[in-house]
Amino acid sequence: MFFNMKALKAKFTFLLVFVFVLTGCDYEVSPWSTDADCSNRVSIDANIKRLKEYEAQVGERDTYQVAIISDPQQYPGTFDDIIKHVNTLPEVDFILLTGDLADTGVKAEYEWVCKVMEKAKQPIFAVIGNHDALAFGKDIWAKVFGPEDYSFTYQNSKFIAYNDNKYEFENVPDRDWLAQETQGDETRDYTMVFSHIPPWDFELTLSQELKDMGVDLGVHGHEHSFDYWQLTGVQLPHYVVSSTKKKGFGILSINPSGYTLENCTNKTCEVAQVRNRDFEL
Amino acid sequence: MSFRRAVVFIVSLFSAVGAWADDEDSGYLDVQSGSLMGLVHASYGAVFAERHNVMVGVGYVPKLSYHREMMLYSLRYRYDHSASWDIAGMAFKPFSVGTGLLIGDHSDLFLQLPDKYPEGYYTPTAFRIVFNYQASLQVTPQLNAYFDMSILDVGLIGYVREPEFFNDNYDYLGLEGIANWGFGARYVF
Repeated sequence: MFFNMKALKAKFTFLLVFVFVLTGCDYEVSPWSTDADCSNRVSIDANIKRLKEYEAQVGERDTYQVAIISDPQQYPGTFDDIIKHVNTLPEVDFILLTGDLADTGVKAEYEWVCKVMEKAKQPIFAVIGNHDALAFGKDIWAKVFGPEDYSFTYQNSKFIAYNDNKYEFENVPDRDWLAQETQGDETRDYTMVFSHIPPWDFELTLSQELKDMGVDLGVHGHEHSFDYWQLTGVQLPHYVVSSTKKKGFGILSINPSGYTLENCTNKTCEVAQVRNRDFEL
Repeated sequence: MSFRRAVVFIVSLFSAVGAWADDEDSGYLDVQSGSLMGLVHASYGAVFAERHNVMVGVGYVPKLSYHREMMLYSLRYRYDHSASWDIAGMAFKPFSVGTGLLIGDHSDLFLQLPDKYPEGYYTPTAFRIVFNYQASLQVTPQLNAYFDMSILDVGLIGYVREPEFFNDNYDYLGLEGIANWGFGARYVF
């Protein structure tokens, strides 16, 4: 009798755990669904609105920082650690996330990243990466984040996000749109662009085009290691941030005397030095 | 062309599975819903060495607001543990585990890297590996109903690589962040 009771308890416990675990799971018809469970907190529109509200609240700030994070694909835990650290940096007013949030384009990957993005205290702006457009990632991107190209202004500087994923999209970047968005740069402190991929080696003329449009800095990811370069004949700096997997992120500091970029981990930062690249345009 | 090859491969396996089975009576039809296998997924399965199962199947997802219409093809293996509990006169088998290859058939997915990409640039997006757990109830000698919980390859990799993230952000030891459920039934011929 005693042993029967013990077996009964074991079965009951198992069934209880079984039912509880089942209630925690989602009913999914395939890995390729597009209804990623992300809150509006991560959408581009919501973050532009938040940044405007913040700017109205703090007024004019001649010194502030921007955190730059990239390629959190398949490392949501490390991304979480970086966001938690950035949350402790009082001068960071917003975050740029330069693409490859997902690796294979399945919605679960987006949901993990959203979970982390939702924890950011500052507004966070994602730009689409090449991996984000795999499978049905373009659909998920549109539903969760919104546009692939967009811009916003903060403290008299304009930040322009553009899609330059040539393998997954046609006619990118949209140069007409970029030219339109960069107009009026002479009245601004800075015009900065950010995209996932730095100007492609076979299309480095883009750097000259951006320079001609009045762009002051390009911010990118994709290469999974820090870099900071400018073409010798162009002199438009392009900053490339390391990947989340390598626990790297960048800090852009803007102050009355100019801007600096730092290559950081959660433990240390060092000033990035721009290097010249020789290239015949 | 790649998908055609996949279909031909899976159809060929149907006959092979039948030929390798323990005996003529060990084949069964499995119909499942959810757990990443489609709105409906029909498989033919056969038992080997009493507890080992191989299934080949075809699934379907209709056009939904959150999903493109597509066919799914699968090749799966499952191990049924012998543990069995009697519940209201029916045998409850709480432990079956398995794994399978799932192929999604849609023009936006690829098995072979399209020519526009450099060699090795991406891994194929059309197939995924799924790991699953099942608990089943023997309703009649021929009919078996089950619950299924599945985990996608990227979910398992993520969970093993960064368990703290899932533990900290999801319930049930973090499984909530990676597990999916479904249900189904098997009819033994």
